[in-house]
Amino acid sequence: METTSTNPRGIPTFPFMSNVTDYVKSIEDVEPTLQRFQEMVSKYTFMQQNVDRRAAGLKEKLPDMKRTLEVVKFLKKKRKDITDRDASGSLDDGEDLDAGSGHGLSDEIETTYSLQDTLYAKAKIKPASIDEVYLWLGANVMVAYPLDEAEDLLRTKLDKAKESLAAAEEDLEFLRIQITTLEVAIARVHNWDVGEKRKLRAQGKLKDPLPDEKDKA
Amino acid sequence: MLIPRQLSKEEESEATDAEVTKEDQDKINAFSKLHNRSKALEEELATKQKDKEDLEEVSTELELADEDELIPYKIGESFMHVPLSEAQELLASATTELESEVTSLEDELSTIRDEIGTLKAHLYARFGKGINLEA
Repeated sequence: METTSTNPRGIPTFPFMSNVTDYVKSIEDVEPTLQRFQEMVSKYTFMQQNVDRRAAGLKEKLPDMKRTLEVVKFLKKKRKDITDRDASGSLDDGEDLDAGSGHGLSDEIETTYSLQDTLYAKAKIKPASIDEVYLWLGANVMVAYPLDEAEDLLRTKLDKAKESLAAAEEDLEFLRIQITTLEVAIARVHNWDVGEKRKLRAQGKLKDPLPDEKDKA
Repeated sequence: MLIPRQLSKEEESEATDAEVTKEDQDKINAFSKLHNRSKALEEELATKQKDKEDLEEVSTELELADEDELIPYKIGESFMHVPLSEAQELLASATTELESEVTSLEDELSTIRDEIGTLKAHLYARFGKGINLEA
């Protein structure tokens, strides 16, 4: 048997069974060995379920984070557009661009925001005067961040969430492989058992009727 | 998951009695992993393609929009009322991003399908009826 190795997050590898006879020496060994394997399968399955749930949670959070980041980016862009316009506009301000004139840039953006799940209300925002946004950090804490910092923070968070999702998915694949290996091992022990019993029966050493025979994986 | 099933005598005779080697096990594992991954990718691709169609529809719809009216464009949870040209810009960049995602998913999926094909051919050649790779 190989020494037990683990994956990066400490999930043990099920070593490949090179020879069935390393595990089962006689028909008496078959039952306990199968039971042991089954138990390991359920352990891996349990872990799989946990990781699966974690991955699902992360997957759910990702779009939310992306949306928040988009809003911050949009506000930043608007702010920049307006400052740019003001900078160049001072040189050739032939006409005044009134807010809401419908052409070019206005100082105000009208927005329809979600007040409640099915209720929307209108609000006018002046991107030029938005210096900070309030980010919900959890645990009933909200912190004001300057736009740049907010963007950085959200980006880092998003990247981290993506990273842990990737790790969770890697774990899932790893667990799956262990389960497959175990299933193949179970099938092989079974087949060995069937073959061995046939041999014994042929030699007249075993008289019981045909046991339930199962196929390979 | 494997469903244990008894092979008929004829099937059993068609199954090769090959012992499973480490290499075979690795191939079986790779198959199982890729098979799973391909299913997840197919799902993701389907959603993305639906999104893409929706965006295309929106873009056709915007062709007919009144230039003097502001378009409520959804960013995050709220709608920003932006001029038509800006809405089209935002839409275009969203579409390009989505398109590149769809293409990369499609590429990945076809690579995986090729690999699956190779593995299947190999494993069936080795184990015949003794292995079932269709699910």
